Amino acid sequence: MTSLPEHPGVQLQGLEARLGARVAALLNERTEVLPHDIEERLRVARDQALMRARSAARAARAAREAPLAPAARPDHAVRPSAGLPGRWFDGRIGARASAGETGFWLGLASWMPLLVLVLGLVLIRAWTTHEQVLAAAEIDTLLLADELPPAAWSDPGFREFLKTSPL
Amino acid sequence: MANDKELTDFFKSVEKRAFKRTYFAVRDEDAALDIVQDSMIRLAERYAGRPPSEWPMLFQRIMSNATMDWFRRQKVRNAVVQNFSDFEGADESEGFDLLGTLQSIEGALGAESAADQVARDQVLRTIEEQVMELPARQREAFLLRYWEEFDVAETASLMGCSEGSVKTHCSRAVQALAKALRAKGIAP
Repeated sequence: MTSLPEHPGVQLQGLEARLGARVAALLNERTEVLPHDIEERLRVARDQALMRARSAARAARAAREAPLAPAARPDHAVRPSAGLPGRWFDGRIGARASAGETGFWLGLASWMPLLVLVLGLVLIRAWTTHEQVLAAAEIDTLLLADELPPAAWSDPGFREFLKTSPL
Repeated sequence: MANDKELTDFFKSVEKRAFKRTYFAVRDEDAALDIVQDSMIRLAERYAGRPPSEWPMLFQRIMSNATMDWFRRQKVRNAVVQNFSDFEGADESEGFDLLGTLQSIEGALGAESAADQVARDQVLRTIEEQVMELPARQREAFLLRYWEEFDVAETASLMGCSEGSVKTHCSRAVQALAKALRAKGIAP
C-alpha cells in the first residue's frame, strides 16, 4: 500500500479527486432509490413549481401585452359591433378575453373605486345644494304668506319692538 | 423562454440529490422536502425565463439560501456557525492513506456486490452517515464539487469563498471521509 507522504502534491490531488468522485458515485447509487413517499412528495413539489412557472409566465405575458394591446389590435376589432348584443372587442360571441383585454379590464377595475368616489362626492354636493334651495324656498314661502309684510323685518323700530316684547 | 419539458427534466435531474444534500444539512426529512419544494418554486417563478444552462447555479444558490433561512428560523444559527469553524482547526489527517481507503472501498463493494446486497447497502449507508458527519462547510464544498460536479470557481461562487478555500475544504473533507471510513472498518 502507498501512503501519502510518498506521493507528490499532484498525485495527492489526483487521489483526493478519485476518492471524492468514488464516494459521490456511491452517494448517487443510494440516492437513486429513495422511499416511495419521498419520491412522491418530490413529484408533487415539481408539479407545483411547474404550475407556478406557468402562472408567472402568463402574468408576465399579460403585463407585456397590456400597454400594446390597443395599438396591436386591428381597427375593426376595437369598435364594438353595433346592434349585435353579446359581441365584444374581438367580434366573437362569447369569446374568451385575450390577455390584452384582461389587462384593460384590470386597469379599469383599478380605477373604478376612484370614479365611484368622485361620482359620490358630486352627487352629495348636488343633493346638499338642492336641500339648501328647498330650505330657502320654505322660508320665503312663510315670509310671503305671513300677515306681516317682509319690509317690516328691515324696519329698526320693529326689530326694537321684537326685542322689548314680552313674548 | 424555456418550456415545461426543459424545466421538468431539470427538476428531475436535480431533485433527489437536492433532497439528500438538504437532508444532510438539516437532518429532517420533512424540512428537507419543504426546502427543496420552496427552492423549486422560487426557481420556477423567478428564473424559468432564464437560459436552462443558468439553472443549476441558480438552483444551488436558492437552495443554500433556503437552507440558511431554515436554520435561522430554527434559531440554531449559532450551532451552524460553530460547525463552520470546525474545519479551521488543525488538520490531523495529513498524510492519511487515501489510496488504501479508495482500494478498500472498491474491494468492499466488489466483494459483497456478488454475495450480499444487504452488506453493500450497509457500506453505502455508512458512507452517507460519514458525509453527514462532516463539518458543514466541508460537506457543502465536497458535495458541490464532487456530487454536483461544479468546478472549483463555481463552487467558490456558490459558497461565497475563495477557490483556495474550496480546495482546502474539499481536501479536508476527503481526508476526513477516508479516515472515518477506515475507522468504520471499510479498509484493508
